[in-house]
Amino acid sequence: MSTPSAPPTQEKPGPNGPSRVPWLEKLLGNGFKLPANPEEIKKEVINSQVWRSVFRGGAWKNTPRDRAAHIIGNVWLHLHPVRVRLRSLKFVYSWGMGGISFWLYLLLTISGILLMFYYRPTPEMAFRDMKDLEFAISYGWFWRNLHRWCAHAMVVTVILHMIRVFLTGSYKTPREFNWVLGVTLLTLTLFLSFTGYLLPWDQLALWAVTVGTNMAGATPLLGNEGPFSSLLGMRINNDIRFGLLGGTAVGEATLIRFYVLHCVFVPVVAGAMLMLHFWRVRKDSFSAAPYAPDEEKFETWPHLISREYVAAALVTVGVIVWSLLINAPLEEAANPTVTPNPSKAPWYFLGLQELLVYFDPWIAGVLLPNIIIVGLAAIPYIDSNPKGVGYYSFKERPFANWMFLFGCALWFILIAIGTYFRGPSWGWYWPWEDWAVHKPPPPSTWSIPNLAGGPLVGLYFALGMALPRLVRKELEWRLAVPTVGILSVAAGLSLKIIHTLLVGKVAFFAKNIPHFGAGAFMLIALFLFVVVFFGFLLPQRYIRNLALPKYAMTMVLVLMMLGVLLKMGARLGFNVKYVFSIPQVNFNI
Amino acid sequence: MPKIIRQLFIIGNVLLLLSFAAATVRDNRREWKKYQKKFFVLEAKELEEKIAQEQDPKIKESLRPQLIAKKKIRYEIRQMIVKDLNRIDRCVTCHLGMDPLSNPSLTTNFTENPYKGHPGDFLKTHSPTKYGCTICHQGQGLATETAAAHGRVKHWEEPILEPPFLQASCVRCHANFESISYAQAARAGKEFFRHNGCYGCHAIKGWGGVVSEDLGEVASKPLARLDFSSSGLARKDWNIKNWILLHLTKDPMSFVPGDPEGHLGQPIPPSGMPPFYLDFKKDEANAIASYLLSMHGEKMPHEYYVYAPAAPDPALDSAVARGKHVYEKYGCAGCHGVEAKEGRRNFNALGQGQDAAAPDQIAEMAKGREPTLPDTVGTFTRDELKLKIQNGVPSNNIVKFKADGPTPPLYMPAWKEKIKGQELEDLVTYLLSIAKKGEEW
Repeated sequence: MSTPSAPPTQEKPGPNGPSRVPWLEKLLGNGFKLPANPEEIKKEVINSQVWRSVFRGGAWKNTPRDRAAHIIGNVWLHLHPVRVRLRSLKFVYSWGMGGISFWLYLLLTISGILLMFYYRPTPEMAFRDMKDLEFAISYGWFWRNLHRWCAHAMVVTVILHMIRVFLTGSYKTPREFNWVLGVTLLTLTLFLSFTGYLLPWDQLALWAVTVGTNMAGATPLLGNEGPFSSLLGMRINNDIRFGLLGGTAVGEATLIRFYVLHCVFVPVVAGAMLMLHFWRVRKDSFSAAPYAPDEEKFETWPHLISREYVAAALVTVGVIVWSLLINAPLEEAANPTVTPNPSKAPWYFLGLQELLVYFDPWIAGVLLPNIIIVGLAAIPYIDSNPKGVGYYSFKERPFANWMFLFGCALWFILIAIGTYFRGPSWGWYWPWEDWAVHKPPPPSTWSIPNLAGGPLVGLYFALGMALPRLVRKELEWRLAVPTVGILSVAAGLSLKIIHTLLVGKVAFFAKNIPHFGAGAFMLIALFLFVVVFFGFLLPQRYIRNLALPKYAMTMVLVLMMLGVLLKMGARLGFNVKYVFSIPQVNFNI
Repeated sequence: MPKIIRQLFIIGNVLLLLSFAAATVRDNRREWKKYQKKFFVLEAKELEEKIAQEQDPKIKESLRPQLIAKKKIRYEIRQMIVKDLNRIDRCVTCHLGMDPLSNPSLTTNFTENPYKGHPGDFLKTHSPTKYGCTICHQGQGLATETAAAHGRVKHWEEPILEPPFLQASCVRCHANFESISYAQAARAGKEFFRHNGCYGCHAIKGWGGVVSEDLGEVASKPLARLDFSSSGLARKDWNIKNWILLHLTKDPMSFVPGDPEGHLGQPIPPSGMPPFYLDFKKDEANAIASYLLSMHGEKMPHEYYVYAPAAPDPALDSAVARGKHVYEKYGCAGCHGVEAKEGRRNFNALGQGQDAAAPDQIAEMAKGREPTLPDTVGTFTRDELKLKIQNGVPSNNIVKFKADGPTPPLYMPAWKEKIKGQELEDLVTYLLSIAKKGEEW
């Protein structure tokens, strides 16, 4: 930095005119004059030697140069540009979610460090320390509540930030890599939150983490319950889950591991990635479009800094009020011999836990989350649409936006189901229903024979890949959409009719699909419509002319997402357990 | 800068200050401070009265500094760290009259909780610094708010024990509790437990029958394993004490209904526990609960236990009297009735007066009975009866009323490992002595 600082002004500041407190000035002697008003005091302070030594730069004259130096000369602020374009200041454009996420990260660091002064990560002490925080330690309840709610809030704001960045096409060239960093940071945020979930060492913590980490045991090849794991000789005491837990079950080794991961390892990694993330935002410049060379620019100080401050202050007020009103949950002390029914994972993983109804753990808990992460990271590299960078546009990017929002909606609908609609034994309970009411067990299931199921899966992917590209003609949208709707309802209805006719006559139906009610029929019709709309109509209309590799990658991701929906329909409507199954190696779809 | 940002800047800062202030206020207005203040005020008032009544001006003067000290209230959390029992009890934060540090005499003239001293002379032999509070009283020692400290909150499974159930805490350590004057309800409870044949189905630490669960650690049974959904109790009353009391004051079939008609899958019988509530008065139910609540899983250092020899069998002269004692000792009364008067309910066993066409099949299944011994033992020879007792009657040998209904929950275990030798001879003699005399064949 080469900004030369102007020499401090030598003139004696102070009011001209009569002294206001004569006796005091007389007492202090040497012609001392008290400042007359706040402005004078401010001047005095800023021009003092102490202030000048701490903050570089000359006397503050509030010139553009001063304000620029304020940003450049400050290590914390200089990741900002000196001047910003008006469009990138707009809250309606950025939602402020990136900055708010980072502020929550800082709040979490502060509150987390304070909690670390009291918390001891051992099964004997951890729960007791929670009680101490609540009942005996000054502000203990406050920092614990704040930490908990900030963590939940940060998961939400990071996801909202991702949605915003997607909808404004901000991941496109030259910002592809920063999007990948962002996806990694999202994963780290979830992992941070998840590792922290165990630390209170109550029943909620123990069992949520047990549910979550059990998924690791289903990892293909590396988890003892995953497909093909027998090939590597995986057992419960040498697989990847064992490595994560430091034992065969969540215990004291897990607690200290998660503690270190939560307090040191992940925050440091995430912090490093954050620096990179910000650095790239700065270097790649802010996305808001359009760029105009002669665009009016605003000074970061005060225009952007004030907005950031206001956002941080209001968010802080929000989490403090939240902490005042609702205490962080704390259930009974962790007891590995008492399994609560139901045991639920942390809320952000409940969508995946809900998918356990329809899939084996290796798919719901390992394959799908990994495909989601990899698929998200791949988006900038397979989206070759150059339009729509830096502004919201469904017209110019209909395929990308609708597909992405559909995925997000699916993710959050599944989370909502897992959170609010699942009770004991993972039965369906309306939110107003008492969990004490006993529900009948789910209907018994059957598996499609491999000779039929294998080709069925193959056909789904083959047709799904081929059809949108084979139909070369532009389909009349106004005709196609209602047609698909009607056909879906007709298909559901005919299934209902076939079932009604055959259920009494064919033993197969009586045994495997005894009921196919109005709910199932409507659900199947809806799923069919959604699958055809997102799997055929949308790709056929918008990406059929894409270069083949990008088209293929896009369609694989789309078909997998819709495949989840189809499998859900197969289970809910027809009680299908597996469509393809090799039980010898735990490979079941 | 737009005006809105300036306004939000001011509003945001004001709200920040207000919310910090609210947090500070909440943190400083802890519930226990109220009680500490009241206690010191009461003490100061007492001293003031004493000074006013004091005639000797010299003593009067000497008391004044004490009064001044009393009026300077220093709020602090007080706790007893009980190393041996791995507890930290903060009860004395509010119950200052029972704090051995601030009130060594452990007595006060106040009559109200939380200011009064500890009633009785228990603390003379059970120093609070060594035992703390919660090892006897239960509740949540770490908490400093009334509801939480008394354990009457969600997620705390051991609410404070009230008399007579508090006697359970004596029994936890004192094997000789029957000779402790304070533990008479628990003593009566143990006797009821024996007399009514509870041992026949419920063992206690391995001693007794295997039909139902061992009650050896019933007091620390996790709530997650209890299903209160049909109990009619409010959620705040869901605790192990009430669970035990339910079994003694209500028909167990009503709150453990099972699924006898198989609505949710395989038919499941309701609780097999006979309707003892018909026989028990409230005091008797409380007595049994006071005894059972001592069956806690938490282990204490062995030197805390007071051992006592097991009561010897009474020396009885006649074989019939000895047999009757054996009948009680092993809990035969649980199924066959006190003094073998009448067989108790066994759901869906074939009984008398059952009507397969009755609209309420559950009520009909509930008419199933265990054998009433005076009616049946007469049909056995001495050796046959012995064999029957030794081998028992497994549930799949019990004739059902409804063939597709649930398996009757009660069955006769094989007693050959437990009742043998002279005891078996005496028991058979007793049973044959009560057999109704039928026609001579």
